Amino acid sequence: MTTPRVGERTGRIGDSTARPDGTPKVTGAFAFSSDLYLTGMLWGVTVRAPHPRAEIHGVDVGPALAVRGVAAALTAEDVPGRAVYGLDVPDQPVLARDTVRYQGEPVALVAADHPETARRAAAEVAVDYTVLEPLTDPRRALDDGSPQLHPGGNLVRHVPIRRGDPQPTAEVVVTGEYTVGMQDQAFLGPESGLAVPAADGGVDLYIATQWLHVDRDQVAAALGLAPELVRLHLSGVGGAFGAREDLSMQIHACLLALRTGRPVKMVYSREESFFGHVHRHPAILRYEHGATREGRLVYVKAEILLDGGAYASTSQAVAGNAATHAAGPYEVPNAHVDVYALYTNNPPCGAMRGFGAVQACFGYESQMDRLAAACGLDPAEIRIRNAMREGSAAITGQVLDFPAPVAELVRRVRDRPLPPQRSTDLRAMPGGVGGTTHGEDVVRGVGYGVSIKNVCFSEGFDDFATARVRLEVTGGEPVATVFTAACEVGQGLVTVQEQVVRTELGVDRVMIAPADTSVGGAGSSSASRQTYMTTGAVRAACAKVRDRLAGRDPASLGDEVIDATVEWRHRPTSPLDPVTGQGFAHVQYAFAAHRAVVDVDLGLGLVKVVELATAQDVGKAVNPLAVAGQIHGGSAQGLGLALMEEIQVRDGEIVNPSFTDYLIPTVLDMPPMSLDVLELADPNAPYGVRGVGEPPTISSTPAIVAAVRAATGRNLNRVPVRPEHITAEGLSVEAGR
Amino acid sequence: MRPFTFVRAIDADQAVAGYAREPEWAMYLGGGTNLVDLMRLGVAEPGLLIDVTRLPYDRVEEAPGGGLRIGAAVRNSDLAADPAVRRDYPVLAAALLAGASGQLRNQATVGGNLLQRTRCGYFQDVTKPCNKRRSGSGCPAVEGDHRNLAILGHSEHCVATHPSDMAVALTALGATVHVRGRAGERIVPMPGLHRLPGDEPDRDTVLDPGDLITAVELPPLELAARSRYRKVRERASFAFALVSVAAALDAEDGAVRDCRIALGGVAHVPWRAEAAEEELRGGPATDDAFRAAADAELAAARPLRDNGYKVPLARELIVRTLAELRDGTGADASGGTP
Repeated sequence: MTTPRVGERTGRIGDSTARPDGTPKVTGAFAFSSDLYLTGMLWGVTVRAPHPRAEIHGVDVGPALAVRGVAAALTAEDVPGRAVYGLDVPDQPVLARDTVRYQGEPVALVAADHPETARRAAAEVAVDYTVLEPLTDPRRALDDGSPQLHPGGNLVRHVPIRRGDPQPTAEVVVTGEYTVGMQDQAFLGPESGLAVPAADGGVDLYIATQWLHVDRDQVAAALGLAPELVRLHLSGVGGAFGAREDLSMQIHACLLALRTGRPVKMVYSREESFFGHVHRHPAILRYEHGATREGRLVYVKAEILLDGGAYASTSQAVAGNAATHAAGPYEVPNAHVDVYALYTNNPPCGAMRGFGAVQACFGYESQMDRLAAACGLDPAEIRIRNAMREGSAAITGQVLDFPAPVAELVRRVRDRPLPPQRSTDLRAMPGGVGGTTHGEDVVRGVGYGVSIKNVCFSEGFDDFATARVRLEVTGGEPVATVFTAACEVGQGLVTVQEQVVRTELGVDRVMIAPADTSVGGAGSSSASRQTYMTTGAVRAACAKVRDRLAGRDPASLGDEVIDATVEWRHRPTSPLDPVTGQGFAHVQYAFAAHRAVVDVDLGLGLVKVVELATAQDVGKAVNPLAVAGQIHGGSAQGLGLALMEEIQVRDGEIVNPSFTDYLIPTVLDMPPMSLDVLELADPNAPYGVRGVGEPPTISSTPAIVAAVRAATGRNLNRVPVRPEHITAEGLSVEAGR
Repeated sequence: MRPFTFVRAIDADQAVAGYAREPEWAMYLGGGTNLVDLMRLGVAEPGLLIDVTRLPYDRVEEAPGGGLRIGAAVRNSDLAADPAVRRDYPVLAAALLAGASGQLRNQATVGGNLLQRTRCGYFQDVTKPCNKRRSGSGCPAVEGDHRNLAILGHSEHCVATHPSDMAVALTALGATVHVRGRAGERIVPMPGLHRLPGDEPDRDTVLDPGDLITAVELPPLELAARSRYRKVRERASFAFALVSVAAALDAEDGAVRDCRIALGGVAHVPWRAEAAEEELRGGPATDDAFRAAADAELAAARPLRDNGYKVPLARELIVRTLAELRDGTGADASGGTP
């Protein structure tokens, strides 16, 4: 891989290409949505419920309106259109009217000429609550005595999978119960945007999001406006990871702007941000694996509870993913899986990088290690023995009609030389420069994790992306301009689009127009799908342009402008059978393998990840530099879940809503990584690409925990692993959590 | 954030007098790395902020009777890099560098560091009861989230911990705090500046309203040249201590002549381990003796439901730190990369 010169943007498909946003982000010059500013704009602030469950008897905004500088104060009564929104199920009130279902739920809005005035006025809004006992234990969500949080009950979705023998037996059986804590996406740019009322009665919203059109449709419905009167423009996104798939302040800012006739900006504080987006579903997973003495899988049984929190968000799809990925990247003839996504009064959970596959992977990979031990096999060997390959059937019956080099990925990480034994550099020790150890009581462990992840939208969803490509001569040079609504959220999509056009049209000068809703939808920058989808759409639009060019030199176009728009679809998927869970649900799977090497301080329970070796098949590395970045970042996010990241929720309330108390890995926590990037083209995908963003997040967590188990001999059935789970006298603490 | 008046004091008299005019609402502002956060959260709501960073307390100099006099406005980064500190009191440099981030240390002052408020989540959240924030409102942490909180010296009214690393080192070293109040100057010893919560957890220290810290003095202490700080935290940098230890040891011929030990992350105050010191002085400098000394100190521990893990952590850390000092092994973290 060659490192491109900063500012050099000439790459075609397969070239490492520097991102235009890279240097500005590192130097602090990048304009994020929180930097938006218009003269005369107002500042919007949200009044949030402090209780996880309550009835509302009245909201008095009078005292807020009396504050000098306040232009508007709105409640649920002021929502002109649909009063609820939601990605799959519109069950979430724009503003709570009668009922509060989670701590931090928006109840009222205030706009004022200064953010501090708005905050002070918001504190004056009087809400009359009757506080109710919250339902916080997902295991009790379906009990008769538990309160029904939604009209249809507390079950968001049950996904069963039934395959093969309903009562299989096996020579070796291992069981386990595992728990995954609530992880946050921890993006650095808090929710923010600017709504500008337009002369036609509509509104323009400048916003950091992942999916412009679905935001637009929900905003328009709530405003009671035709969708074409609501125009969304992508603003600078400071990370997403799923947390911008649901709405946050979009409708609120537009409501205030239309009410006041002035631009309204909203920016969440860091603390508020923890209440402003969904999180990763906490999960309780019960597994039973049966295998032959040789370690060949006979059956997998799994029951997975996903705590969806107060509103549905994407819980249905997350449950579908947890179910279809429940057995991992392994061949297993018999499966009996039940996944339940449940409503509680905990913070709402939804999309986060890995999307249901993360939780399942911690369960099945922990089980594979137990199985290896029970069969007397090496952990890498048992994975290789059961690895899916092209032609394998998943537990949904779906046959993999693309390369699936799972065994090869495991071999690659296994065969890497191990890092040297301990160095004397304090930074390489558990506890680092805290100086807690100089080698006393430190033991090394090695562990493996392998992930499988669907790419693109699944289960029959009509998944498409639109691209418009314009070719013209400007200043004597052919210039191509690409128009899409595809969101650059930090994954490197801008360079990808440029690379496609350069490759397809042979034109060096490519402009990527700012993403907005003036073109057709692109779908979400999620599910590892945007490079796959928008590459497909841009390539198809380029083909159309090329057709019209009819072999002419682009430089010879003169005043002619060639303009082509394509709505591009991947091959269709189908829904899961509601009883058996069988079906062609996923258009593509992606795979990654990690080998983690850790040093653990047994006395203090501290872990230093010494090395992460990764192998991943990406089909085609469109921008190898960006691929490496995705694997590094994804692995770091998985390390965070393994060792430190958890939103602490007690009685439905978040205890640590700050980056001082919610810990994410620093550069000192991340080890050197060795990468093995395979490029086995998927014949169904444009250029053979395979989604890259999610798989490394999924497999690094179980690999690290397996390595800690290998070092300590502890069971460690819960992530994140804490020092007290490792130190001997802390064992009772683990049991109690 | 509530509106406030900002003034910058040019001398201590002016600062103290300014405070006296608005005693209900005034607060001194040092680096602001803690106070400004608390103001944003609504935990602190001063009406008058008196910036004291321009007072002539920005020097580290030799004290009249030996030792070091450290101005209250000295930035944490400067203090950690001071050659005399690194030579004679390495535990202090190491403790400073173990705290916060480079940017925060460049901003934070010695006086402000001593007066940091707790990281207890309930204290930070104004929608929750907290006896430290609002006396008599209750302490949800006793039954709630207290995994990071105190195991020593807490009361039914408050189980918070003091967050400072620097203060742990100063407590071990027996520093004195020079205070300027309305009644003039006085000296407060460490330990002794911070107080246990008892039934007044809203009072972190023995200082009176309007008292201004002007300097911290380190006594001449030969054994401090061999001193260490060790900190257990859940990530490699930029995290508060679960448990930390500051220690100095003078051992010869296998016997302990003198020692200093203080613990962080375990109590409402930087905890001077006097029982452990007492146990060690004059005894053998063996691992067994170190363990017995740690046990003597931790016999008083009363862990809560979810923080019992801190007891073995503290014991292990004490033993390792003393053994390292005895053996002269290990790298000196005071000069390392933070």
